[in-house]
Amino acid sequence: MLFNSLEFALFLPIVFLLYWFVFNKHLRLQNLFIVVVSYIFYGWWDWRFLLLIAFTTFCSWLSGVLIQKYREKRESNPTQINWAKVVSATNIILNLGILGAFKYYNFFVNSFVEAFASFDIHLQPTTLYIILPVGISFYTFQALSYSIDVYRKQLEPTKDIVSFFAYVSFFPQLVAGPIERATNLLPQFYSKRTFDYDKAVDGMRQILWGLFKKIVIADNCAVYVNQVFDNYEVQTGSTLLIAAIFFAFQIYGDFSGYSDIAIGTARLFGFNLMRNFNFPYFSRDIAEFWRRWHISLSTWFRDYLYIPLGGSRGGKWMSVRNTLIIFTVSGFWHGANWTFIAWGAFHGLLFLPLLLAKKNRKNTNIVAENRLLPTPIELFQMGTTFLLVVIGWIFFRADSIADAVNYMQGMLQFGTVKAFYRILELKEFLFILILLVVEWLQRNNEHGLESFENFGKVFKKNKFMRILLYYTILCLILWFSGEEQQFIYFQF
Amino acid sequence: MKRFLLNTLYILLPLLLIAGIMEVLLQHIPNDYKYKKEYLEKNAENIETLILGSSHAFFGLNPIYFSKKTFNTSNISQSLNYDYQIVNKYLNNSTSLRTIILPISYFTLFGKLEEGEEAWRVKNYVLYYRLNTATKLTNYSEIFSNKFTVNFDRLYAYYIKNESSISCSTLGWGLNYKSTNAQDLSKTGKIASERHTRKDIHSIESQIIFNENITILQSLIEWCISRNVNIVFITPPAYKTYTQCLNKEQLSITVETMNDICSQYPNCTYLNLLNDTNFVAKDYYDADHLSEIGAKKLSIKMNEILNTQLE
Repeated sequence: MLFNSLEFALFLPIVFLLYWFVFNKHLRLQNLFIVVVSYIFYGWWDWRFLLLIAFTTFCSWLSGVLIQKYREKRESNPTQINWAKVVSATNIILNLGILGAFKYYNFFVNSFVEAFASFDIHLQPTTLYIILPVGISFYTFQALSYSIDVYRKQLEPTKDIVSFFAYVSFFPQLVAGPIERATNLLPQFYSKRTFDYDKAVDGMRQILWGLFKKIVIADNCAVYVNQVFDNYEVQTGSTLLIAAIFFAFQIYGDFSGYSDIAIGTARLFGFNLMRNFNFPYFSRDIAEFWRRWHISLSTWFRDYLYIPLGGSRGGKWMSVRNTLIIFTVSGFWHGANWTFIAWGAFHGLLFLPLLLAKKNRKNTNIVAENRLLPTPIELFQMGTTFLLVVIGWIFFRADSIADAVNYMQGMLQFGTVKAFYRILELKEFLFILILLVVEWLQRNNEHGLESFENFGKVFKKNKFMRILLYYTILCLILWFSGEEQQFIYFQF
Repeated sequence: MKRFLLNTLYILLPLLLIAGIMEVLLQHIPNDYKYKKEYLEKNAENIETLILGSSHAFFGLNPIYFSKKTFNTSNISQSLNYDYQIVNKYLNNSTSLRTIILPISYFTLFGKLEEGEEAWRVKNYVLYYRLNTATKLTNYSEIFSNKFTVNFDRLYAYYIKNESSISCSTLGWGLNYKSTNAQDLSKTGKIASERHTRKDIHSIESQIIFNENITILQSLIEWCISRNVNIVFITPPAYKTYTQCLNKEQLSITVETMNDICSQYPNCTYLNLLNDTNFVAKDYYDADHLSEIGAKKLSIKMNEILNTQLE
């Protein structure tokens, strides 16, 4: 079920009313209700994969219980084999095995065949017809983090299987994140939720802003971007540059829009999900960009890959190696294609100079804090960071690395900058401008409509003006709704 | 909670009201689907020749050139599953029906309405033909099947400018593809052939759709046999800028399949007119659709075939 669909528009109020008026008496029943509606939400796409998510969830829950049990046994008998470690490793292998089979099997087979072909050895591959389960990378990582945390003694294992199933399948963030940590989300299923008016209203605003980003920004940019990327060979340099910039906003609108809707929806049900985006295009360097883009994934890789690999404890070269590994793996997480690996590695290479110069934590504050406008230096830093990110997105969007390289060569044609002014004539540019202005004003908040103080006193004090603003956004959504596009991150 | 629900309702109520009014008004606008359905309900008993299929039939076969009582119930992107369901629902009790003309174009066996760019048209079959073909909730609604601006333009054109929303003749032939506004044949040939070519005809998705279409064809043939009705399958003519860009394998599978089917069933005839040289540039509206000139030519030709070869 898509957030921007009629089905979800009917599903959400029904679930909301049943959740607060029918199932609010018994916590366990309310959690069970969340599991049921989350499975309906997921099964709407393809019910066959419910078994897979249920299996993944059950294995991770069971691993938590077993890790605890074997740990206690071993404490009384230290000579015993470390079964807790075996269980934890088995669960990791199982989860990654499922992810690998569904997402990467054909990629590895084809890559091997191509590699052998370059030595003139021609293999007859057996590729499989595999449908990629929606959101498999997201819920697998979420389930994995639980059992790893239990093994590391950072979390008490839960015996409450209903709460655990609700934690993994919680419908607002099930298919495209934020990738929640058990330490944050799971305890919220243990205690009774109470309805909070302010929280719910803020949730509605965040949903509205998310819909604007998805429907007005992402879906409109997608039409232009798809046309250009599908026939990039015959496009002018300026068109290629505009499409690359539009793709940067398409993917931002699409993914951060999804996260806003997810977080806002969770708020309606009394849950707090972690922040996933923090206005990344206002970053002054790549390190800052990665602290602001897909935060739940970056921190996941930091905690479960970078630190276990040694992090920065082994000196400069260990840090360099580990940084390159996590960026490359993070790219590969996005999809079974060399383009994603190249995208990850490209960002890793951009990050390295900052790391080596120990400037990767230089910009941790909000840009132009307590000022309306940035300084020329800040503007230059944001501009160059954005351009580097745009180059990375070309790898991300292209069908192959060769296409990405050719696309960039095409972008460097004579006259690209000269004809670039055409961007001003496109309606997508106007939408992007609205987005940038609103988010710039709100950059000290969590989302574009969180507080009205930054829009001026008239919005803060006058309820009518606020309602007028909501209607303006709704009208923009209705009037400029583009061709309906699936959320890009569903495929990951 | 009460305050939250009331405030949400107050904000959403005007929008819901507008949406409801728009839905009612849009459904009241006459359209080709509603017209054809009503025609079939009233005249199914008298129809002797029925034309089914997609835009190639909609614009290419004009019933007024047929000597027997003929009606064209084709529509843009109408796929085989809809052809069969329309026949099954509206002509089940017809005793006059003798012949069905069904175009099998280059793309027919490898596509269906629900998966293409024209998927928004599914609502027309659900709302107006009353067929059980909805695959999602939006198929039950006008406002959710199209962009807001498209709906707004339709309301404005019909209710404010009093423009007709029917684009077919009284016998169901498409009126809009005229020789006077013909399109660039070389440009449209390339675009249409690309659009009609399945990316991978050997993929499992393609095979599933192909097999579904063959099953539907067989059901239609069985339906016709039980009522003593002949079926004439035609691959309609197209201009060389289109035919030269087609995938040879997809085309040969289509032609071979239709020849195979027609050799198995005595009530079936297959005519491949794709490269018919009688049709020249001025007969076309674009590279794969006939204009009124070409439609007249094809209709007369089909009528002759029906009256001579199939009598």
